[in-house]
Amino acid sequence: MSDKLELQNHALFSAHFEDGSIFVSGNSYDDTKWLQLPHKQIKKIYYALPNGDHLCLEGYEKYFHMLEATKDLNGPRAGMRRIEYAYIMGKRGNIVVSYRITLFHKKNDKYKVGDIVKREFHIHDKFVKGLNPSNWR
Amino acid sequence: MTNLDFLVNYVDSDVDYETTAADYISMDLTNDYLIWTAGSATVTDLMASEPSSSDLNEAATQIDPDVATTVAYCYLMDYSHDVGGAYYTHLVKGMGLNKRYVFCCSFDGATASEPQLEAWDDSSHSTTDNEVLGAGTPTNSMVKAVCTTSGLPGSSWTGTAIAGNGAGRYIELNNGNGALAALASGETSQELYFNAKIVIPAAHATPASETFVFTVRYTWS
Repeated sequence: MSDKLELQNHALFSAHFEDGSIFVSGNSYDDTKWLQLPHKQIKKIYYALPNGDHLCLEGYEKYFHMLEATKDLNGPRAGMRRIEYAYIMGKRGNIVVSYRITLFHKKNDKYKVGDIVKREFHIHDKFVKGLNPSNWR
Repeated sequence: MTNLDFLVNYVDSDVDYETTAADYISMDLTNDYLIWTAGSATVTDLMASEPSSSDLNEAATQIDPDVATTVAYCYLMDYSHDVGGAYYTHLVKGMGLNKRYVFCCSFDGATASEPQLEAWDDSSHSTTDNEVLGAGTPTNSMVKAVCTTSGLPGSSWTGTAIAGNGAGRYIELNNGNGALAALASGETSQELYFNAKIVIPAAHATPASETFVFTVRYTWS
């Protein structure tokens, strides 16, 4: 499944700020424009799912988004990037809530495209500490 | 989006890419590949043609009944033979040794989390059943890797047995220091390094000719 097909040519997300303004993302995983989000309090984010529905995160202090890809260094898919997951996260107090959205179905994997896994991490968890601190909004 | 380029050092594994880019070959991942071999008169550095399957079989590593055997050489099969003349193979310098700048992952921007190196049976990234990856027991993987981004691996380094992406069975390429920051002013890339080797246990009962897949997992925002 291609990136564009997954997004169906629609914006990846829209961020609604406390001041009433709205930021609309790019419509490609290659150009999400996440880092162009202004540093002001986000009220809620609508995040597009592969089936066209949206996931809404609201009421967090900070938000984080990332796409996870793999690139094989050899073999039949060598050099081809494969986007496997999108993450949209919210931080409230000492807890980060992560929604992981599957974008590629791997053989024998129980998670299909569009499946969402919700997990909670303490801010001192290695997963959270390894995130780029500049990418929180 | 951040892009990843994969390079190997074929000249001097004591120098980094930023200082001496000419010592590195950027792999054409569609056509180039790595050859892990004991070497032979035919399968060697600077071959003038691509080795055949027969050539590679004759240069296979022999399992020792008494001691573990490290595969002696890793060659880059450079399909486009675009460096150093019309040569198809180049020895990856420092593979398995106490060398820091051997395998190189070059990123053209920041990442959202720490890149990691994994090994799988094939491009489906669903199994690690190959003998070389431990035949379903990842801790027994013969593929050992060590992050050298922050320093030398040390003499007689053992590395991490990598297979799949379960806890402890991959290596973090930024030495556990997390995501890559934005590029400094004037820079066009930033590099992470690792060393790797294949160690076959003594008297391993199942000889095999296998391919496995090195995979780098990385993120962007």
